[in-house]
Amino acid sequence: MSADYTPNPTKWLLMGIAGIAISFIGFFVAPQIAAWSYLIGLIFATSIAIGMLFLVMIHHIFDAQWSVIVRRQAEHYISALPYMGILFIPLFGLTYLKDQGLIWLWMNDAASLHGHGTVGSDVLYQKKTWWLSEPFFWGRVVFCFAIWSYFAWAFRRNSFSQDEDGAAKHTFSSRKHAAGGLILVALTWTAAGFDWIMGLEYHWFSTMFGVWIFASAMRAALAVMLLTCAFLVAKGPLKGIFNTKHLHDVATLAFAFTVFWAYITFSQYFLIWNANIPEETFWFNDREEGIWWPISMILIFGYFLFPFLYMLQFPLKTNYTSMTFMAIWLLSMNVLDVFFNVLPSLKDHDGHVFQMFSSPLNVLWYIGGISGALGILLWSYWSSYQKTKIIPIRDPRIQECLNHNH
Amino acid sequence: MAKQHGLIAKFETPADIMHAAEKVRDAGFKKWDVISPFPIHGMDPAMGIKRSLVGRFTICGGALGLTTGMLMIWFTGGSDLSVPLMDGYKLIVGGKPFFSPQFAFPVSYELTILFSAFASIGGMFILNKLPTHYHPVLKYKDVAASSDDKFFLYIENEDPQFDDEKTRVFLNELQPVEIGELEE
Repeated sequence: MSADYTPNPTKWLLMGIAGIAISFIGFFVAPQIAAWSYLIGLIFATSIAIGMLFLVMIHHIFDAQWSVIVRRQAEHYISALPYMGILFIPLFGLTYLKDQGLIWLWMNDAASLHGHGTVGSDVLYQKKTWWLSEPFFWGRVVFCFAIWSYFAWAFRRNSFSQDEDGAAKHTFSSRKHAAGGLILVALTWTAAGFDWIMGLEYHWFSTMFGVWIFASAMRAALAVMLLTCAFLVAKGPLKGIFNTKHLHDVATLAFAFTVFWAYITFSQYFLIWNANIPEETFWFNDREEGIWWPISMILIFGYFLFPFLYMLQFPLKTNYTSMTFMAIWLLSMNVLDVFFNVLPSLKDHDGHVFQMFSSPLNVLWYIGGISGALGILLWSYWSSYQKTKIIPIRDPRIQECLNHNH
Repeated sequence: MAKQHGLIAKFETPADIMHAAEKVRDAGFKKWDVISPFPIHGMDPAMGIKRSLVGRFTICGGALGLTTGMLMIWFTGGSDLSVPLMDGYKLIVGGKPFFSPQFAFPVSYELTILFSAFASIGGMFILNKLPTHYHPVLKYKDVAASSDDKFFLYIENEDPQFDDEKTRVFLNELQPVEIGELEE
């Protein structure tokens, strides 16, 4: 912890609690939309933490030099993963106390499909019951969070212990964990994407979806990483440690995942568009209804084209102000992208696609859902930040990282 | 003796040549270069070289490739334009529109990459003034050592600041192992 900057995690905890409180009020006032907003916030915050976990693992598997000081920030963020698991409990409670089909329609056998009988009598559901069964679903949720929390704990333990004793064994342990973790976290994060988002519309299927949610998590994490580092440089703790070459490298990764996200998102759309099979195309047709059409255009131009052209430019990637702007932009677009993938799966009883601003009150539940999970994430980050050194001072690669320059 | 091309100085270590380069840069010479067996980290700023302009060629090539791909597919499949010997031929494929950016995109994207690559290579050749089949340095007696363990720095006599006597004194102050003359 740096002497000249003292963070205040409590204010983030208060923001989180306030957001969760709004969501809980929403669960009684407008249960469905509040629950979906809560899920969106949870997915958003979890994807940041998962992206950070991937960054840590990628660092270790490549035995990277330049990212040692960046990795320490990611290690703080992954401390939030167990809390994200706890935040999932209200969703479990809601589906059983309130209405089983409130979020994931397939959980309620008696839910009526508009003009097509009920979920229980739907052959498309019957064929998927082996995967979409409630004990298995909640078991997977617990399993996913257990895996993530374990790896988060292991990497943090290794890194922080090394601060104390400087032993090389911690680096080797982390490298081994990264090798297994990359596979396990990739599989569990894919499963989470299938379950939490694709499962909202159980008729639909896309094998690209796991890759999409990975790309989304990486973009969110890299944007947060840019903001975090720029903030810590501006406030002092990382000043003179984190230089514009590090900034350039993180920004280049953000650029790479911009292209990767566009590639995956376009491929998913293009294959479905080209094959033109109704059981796949309806998902995109729903996302062209009403406000979702302009939102999809905003995502193409605002989440791909603009950041692509912006981050092509070397001077903008090595400037703190311009990258702070881009990180905020990317993060806002990331939230919009999560909305775009989640919310149109919500249908009213006439089968119409839910519209984002159908009621002004919706915005309150969105804000509640997002600030709740995000507040907990940031509280977890700053609490962990306070307890440890600002950089891994005894990492074997730390000197190479500090000397890293253009 | 043939016409003089410039003066060349030999150095023993990367650190020596780096410091020498910094002094030559600060002295304001324009037409000079450093020869090294391997890339030396930090040499670009030491020589006062700005970022490469190859990227400008790349973006132009990329934009051209994207436009070419889109126009080509639109012209052949979706337009009513009639150009002698090159009539478009409208085909219905899978009930899709005659033209849509969706299906034109993969091909345009490939052309973007292809044209970017061509423009980058072409731009690199132009900026490096390649191909250069002969350079006066190649005639210098000791030049083979520059691909082994010696470092060279030369200043051309076309440089506006060049003056045989003064530049020789200046190079001597950089404490090279030896100083020689380059022939045209």
